[in-house]
Amino acid sequence: MALTGLEVFKLLPNTNCRECGFATCLAFAMRLAAKKIEAEECPYLSEEAKEILGASAVPPIRLVEIKSGDKSVKIGEELVMFRHEKKFFHQTAFSVCIDDSEDEREITEKLEKIKKINFERAGEILKLDLIAVKDTSGDKQKFCKTINLIKNFIDLPLILFSENPEIVTVGLEEIPDDKPLIYSANNENWEKMTELAKKYNASLAITAEDGLKGLSELSERIKNKGFENIVLNPKCRSLTEILTNYTLIRRLSLENNYRNLGYPIILYLENEDNFINSAVGICKYASIVVFNDVNDWEYLPLLTLRQNIFSDPQKPLQVEPGIYKVGEPDESSPVFVTTNFSLTYFIVSTEIEGAGFSGHLIITDAEGLSVLSAWSAGKFSGEIVGKFVINSGIENNISHRNIIIPGYVAVISGELEDSLPGWNVYVGPQEASDIPSYLKEVWSKEN
Amino acid sequence: MEIEIPIKKWSGKIRAVTIGTEKNGITIGGEDTLPFHHFEGSIPNKPIIAFEVQDIYPSDWLDVVKEPYGEYLKNPIEWAKAAVVKYNADMVCLNLLSTHPDRENRSADEAAELVKNIISEIDVPLIIKGPGSSEKQNQVLNKCGEAGAGKRCIIASAVEDNYKTITAACQAYGHIVVAETPIDVNLAKQLNILISDMNFPPGRIIIDPLTGGLGYGLEYTYSVMERIRLQALGGDAMLQMPFICFVGQEVWRVKEVKVDESVEPLWGDMKKRGICWEAATAITLLLSGADILVMRHPEAINIVRKSVGRLMEK
Amino acid sequence: MSKIIASAAIRGAHKIFSRAETLLKETVKKNGESREVKFPGTAYYLPVVYALTGKKVERLCDMYEPLNQAKSLLPKIPSENLWLPYLGDALDAGIATLIAEEIIEALKFVNGNEPINGIWLGPTTDAVLREQGIKLVDGRMPGFAACVGAPKTKEEAVKLTRDLQERNILVFMSSHTNGVSMAEQLAEEGIEMNWDTFLVPYGKDTSATVHALGFAVRAAMTFGGITPNGLKEAREILLYNKNRVHAFVLALGEVDDEKYATAAGAINFGFPVIADTDIPQILPTGICTYEHVVSNIPYNEMPSKAIEVRGLKIKITKIPIPVRCGPAFEGERVRKENLAVEFGGKYTTSFEYLISKGLDEVEDGKIEVVGPEIDDVEEKARLPLAIIIEIAGRKMQKDFESILERHIHTFLSQAMGVMHLGQRDINWIRIGKEAKNAGLKFKHLGILLRAKLLSEFPAIVDKVQVTLYTNEEDVKRLYPAAKSAYEERDKRMGELTDESVDTFYSCQLCQSYAPNHVCVITPERLGLCGAYNWIDGKAAYEISPHGANQPIKKGECLDSVKGKWKGVNDFVYERSNNTLPSFSAYSMMEDPMTSCGCFECIAGVLPGTKGIMIVDREYQEMTPSGMTFFNLAEFVGGGQQTPGFIGIGILYIVSKKFISADGGLKRVVWMTKNIKERLKDKLAERAKEIGEEDLLDKIADESVTTELEPLIEFLNNVNHPALKMEELF
Ligand code: SF4
Ligand code: SF4
Repeated sequence: MALTGLEVFKLLPNTNCRECGFATCLAFAMRLAAKKIEAEECPYLSEEAKEILGASAVPPIRLVEIKSGDKSVKIGEELVMFRHEKKFFHQTAFSVCIDDSEDEREITEKLEKIKKINFERAGEILKLDLIAVKDTSGDKQKFCKTINLIKNFIDLPLILFSENPEIVTVGLEEIPDDKPLIYSANNENWEKMTELAKKYNASLAITAEDGLKGLSELSERIKNKGFENIVLNPKCRSLTEILTNYTLIRRLSLENNYRNLGYPIILYLENEDNFINSAVGICKYASIVVFNDVNDWEYLPLLTLRQNIFSDPQKPLQVEPGIYKVGEPDESSPVFVTTNFSLTYFIVSTEIEGAGFSGHLIITDAEGLSVLSAWSAGKFSGEIVGKFVINSGIENNISHRNIIIPGYVAVISGELEDSLPGWNVYVGPQEASDIPSYLKEVWSKEN
Repeated sequence: MEIEIPIKKWSGKIRAVTIGTEKNGITIGGEDTLPFHHFEGSIPNKPIIAFEVQDIYPSDWLDVVKEPYGEYLKNPIEWAKAAVVKYNADMVCLNLLSTHPDRENRSADEAAELVKNIISEIDVPLIIKGPGSSEKQNQVLNKCGEAGAGKRCIIASAVEDNYKTITAACQAYGHIVVAETPIDVNLAKQLNILISDMNFPPGRIIIDPLTGGLGYGLEYTYSVMERIRLQALGGDAMLQMPFICFVGQEVWRVKEVKVDESVEPLWGDMKKRGICWEAATAITLLLSGADILVMRHPEAINIVRKSVGRLMEK
Repeated sequence: MSKIIASAAIRGAHKIFSRAETLLKETVKKNGESREVKFPGTAYYLPVVYALTGKKVERLCDMYEPLNQAKSLLPKIPSENLWLPYLGDALDAGIATLIAEEIIEALKFVNGNEPINGIWLGPTTDAVLREQGIKLVDGRMPGFAACVGAPKTKEEAVKLTRDLQERNILVFMSSHTNGVSMAEQLAEEGIEMNWDTFLVPYGKDTSATVHALGFAVRAAMTFGGITPNGLKEAREILLYNKNRVHAFVLALGEVDDEKYATAAGAINFGFPVIADTDIPQILPTGICTYEHVVSNIPYNEMPSKAIEVRGLKIKITKIPIPVRCGPAFEGERVRKENLAVEFGGKYTTSFEYLISKGLDEVEDGKIEVVGPEIDDVEEKARLPLAIIIEIAGRKMQKDFESILERHIHTFLSQAMGVMHLGQRDINWIRIGKEAKNAGLKFKHLGILLRAKLLSEFPAIVDKVQVTLYTNEEDVKRLYPAAKSAYEERDKRMGELTDESVDTFYSCQLCQSYAPNHVCVITPERLGLCGAYNWIDGKAAYEISPHGANQPIKKGECLDSVKGKWKGVNDFVYERSNNTLPSFSAYSMMEDPMTSCGCFECIAGVLPGTKGIMIVDREYQEMTPSGMTFFNLAEFVGGGQQTPGFIGIGILYIVSKKFISADGGLKRVVWMTKNIKERLKDKLAERAKEIGEEDLLDKIADESVTTELEPLIEFLNNVNHPALKMEELF
């Protein structure tokens, strides 16, 4: 059972010494109970407290970190089966696989692409997280060369993709300061691999043939060697099996507290169903997806899907407040204003463009709330919107002084006029889907 | 050490709904477990994909989506036939867009005539989708319901404001009603209760949770569907209805499928990107419980259909 | 049931039955048993016979069985000295009558005296039924009136017809009074009668009335999906009609035995009878929702009486005022330059007062302006104003007055060119020049208010009467009553206690993002967003019984101090998707209420003080807990129980039940200035009540400190009462 904030608090010294960085022990306790920080950050815990906290704080799915320099990818620590219960914690890490048998030019080309994948969406940067180096050549030198090639080109944490401990060894020696993921240990090589992972501070993916049972046995053996930075690679023959096994692993670790499978899962895709399988993986519990090959056009949808699934259901995605151009607006184009709830922004801009219009879309800072919620929370009042509009500098870009507000906040129109002297306030439709007909029927006739 | 596989048995079960006549009927729903959880429950019917067909030439569709249908688009009956014959559609969704007052404002009688003709020309079950604008929606769906009397079509949609009219029409002409609510468990339940209260059998209701496309609210739909499903399987009879998701219309208007790779070179081939966008949206919805997906691009449909096949393997 | 009516109905039933029997015999003789018989354009055979008996009449010989069933239903004619015939007997007689009447009407088709003849339309076809019936079921048409007989004069007939049409009520006509039929009266006046004008003459015989019921039963079969098969289904069909087909009978002129018998048939459907003559009344309630028979009603009151007795809901689709009206105009200002007239503000006495009254005391649709109208005063005039709205409704409750009254603001603001601010006796209304030029009168404000109240609150509002007083004298005269009513309401709110009710209300609106959150709203604890109190919850439930606010029966009290009840626990468990087995209303330490995220304030324990702090949403700085409002919100929100912390509506702080199990208001050691300011008087009052008059001075705020140690020092200095209390945890 997880401890409540107050139960955790009772285990703390209550000296409010602030060494943990928080003003009070209570503040520290609340964060600890919410599993936002580690118990160790308070230096004054009694042994007894540590023990109790330790037991309650061990996350049911272990945190695994893959690192290179200051680039770090964290996976695991998930607490729920369904994202409506609580945010899915660490998003699925995307990795592209580089084959060491390919020639340098090919590899460089691939790397160039990987480097370029960088989309900004709803205030977040969407990009790839890891690179897997695969030992297809079977040649240690080539493997090392490829690693170096990658490292010189791009600074992403690596997955060393080999079942050969010798190759893995040279790979690890190549990047002694990193914490890569070794992919993977199996029933034959696990002892050596475990030693290597321990020695080089790496984490270790494990593969077993015999379904969940095989995985569980292997992870137990490795754990008994004192190593726990494990990532599971359940071998699945079909899409149904992926869904089944991944669901069961998650369920066993969360609901049955089954420790042998309390690790993040890696999904390696080599066949032609990459796209669909990775979509399933994103939704259903894969912590890492490794693509052998991805088509250019698949990146954006997959990264967007990941952003959707891993967004916080209680904290909506936000876009940066400011003036956005929809289409190619000029000084006579209409000015719209709405909140910075990303969905609102996306839908409004889509509708304006869909109607064949261009416009200036002013996005205010409403903490990501939708229009009505923002208004009732006092974050979208006439005064606030007015101030924002003036400070945005939009007046320099346009020749008119007309602004369209969302229909749901018609109530602010008077107040907005007061705080925007010289402006005309137009009340637009309530639903974004009516924007096209509003622009055609009402706006165009009056302007 | 043997692992004890934790199997979940639910007390609730999704109602099975048969669409179409005795001859061409398709059954959806009937599962007593979460989507594709074959290991712990039974899923007697696979999810179905319906091809969207509009009653008017879709001038606002992207060339990418228009291209596979070519000349057929000029005639809705030919279009529907092409969907069935050329692309093996299991179901067709006739979108009566042109009846919308802001569009061509075609009359309900015209729409009804078309429904009649389509029914006589194709032999797969039909979804009849009204223009959405409230007063017109009532007229159109009422007339079209009459035109399709006895064919057990799906009529989309009843919302809180008009459910009485649409439900009465579905009752009178023997159809299945889509209950549409804006992404909310309790509202969905409330509308189902209200519709059932009119003596309408709950076994002829399908839930439209309102679909957000990928990047445009998909996660909200995804989670609300999961919540509805969990509550339904937990025993809430008023949520034990199958889902329908209108995917195509949400997907094919977003910026990410419209912008050419010459403008955004990193986004990759626009055509293929759009297909992926539709397929990804559909797959995600399948994973949260969709029973009917209404889609547009034959290639995207093909991808999803194959995936359904793979997900239905036990 | 009145003996006179029952006896008359039974007598009538016998007469009609034997007529049917004879007619059938004769017809069979002439045409043979296997002669086909049917109504045109229907797939429901003889619909009433089919619905009530499950028998499909296709040939003459098929009529024997239903007729026999009718016979078996016929009660003996009560003798003069039996003084209490059963209601059931009369009702059975009514059913027998309808079966016999439909057979009579059907035989007319065989015998060549076609019911479809001249102005008479005869039985309705299925096609028409589907088109028109759907409007009855979905409420576009509020109901139908089966007019039996005829009013005294043609003029009265026309007037009555217009009144019914105006309300969108479908008018069926049949039978006659002393040889005069209503349809003929209308025809003579040149009124067009057909399905397009919603005026449908069925036939001149009383038996033609059965077509109105044939319409009703087919509505149940078509839209209610009921297939007749015998008694059980017959009952379902009758019940469907009672619940969904809002029809009534207008008995015009003298009521003879046969009409009584037919009326008894209609009562089985839940259709009440409104008569213009002085026949015995049958008041509530058994079969019909409200009264069964109401009599002696003048023609001009008939429609509104019928609406009241049958519970019709009239939809107002277009509000007849000369300016546009809609949410888009809600926030619009009327500025000085544009001003035509204004009321209130700081200039004149102006108030709005909504009061509930008995159904008999309110004349629906009566809108009056007492005093000058808009055209009587000069531009920019400032007038006093009293808006008095009288409401009646079967489900209206005194408690709902304030809720409806609060909506005056929105309703009036939605008219283009009308600005409304404030409420009660601090309102401020302006009408702009453009609105005046468009023809807006004061009276239109009343029309608008009535229309809005009826259409937004159909569940609780049946009748609305509005009077606008614009002269000083009346306004002054009426004000004291309104003022004391406001005070009364506030007092009642203050006096409502959790103990005085057996039902709380839930709110689950916020489940859309906090899936397991349930607000339990009690008289002494409002929703944590501050927007819903117990009365709001109660009204919302009446208005929308399947909505977000559901009643929670308290059930057995498990702990009166902590505020735990079995019923509440069960409810919260179920509605939290089986995650919260226990709930305490009065404790923040043990199973406290969950918080969604919209709380106005957060209350949280402060270790080392034995007390708690309260911070409001506006305050963004640090608090002595070491966390800001937003830090706290992250831990408290999301729909989980967080012992030691609760999200609350600000008014809960001054409730007697404020964490009463944990020690109540005395526990508060720190509170933001905003809260202190907003609750000033009420806090002082509460402090006094608990015998800590200077409590407010002992509660620190951000001007004293935002840190824990200095706070503890402060508390010691002022000797805060919490220090003497037990530890909280
Ligand atoms: S470091 Fe430990 S003792 Fe010091 S304030 Fe933080 S939690 Fe309290
Ligand atoms: S916070 Fe307000 S709106 Fe939300 S559930 Fe509670 S009472 Fe309802």
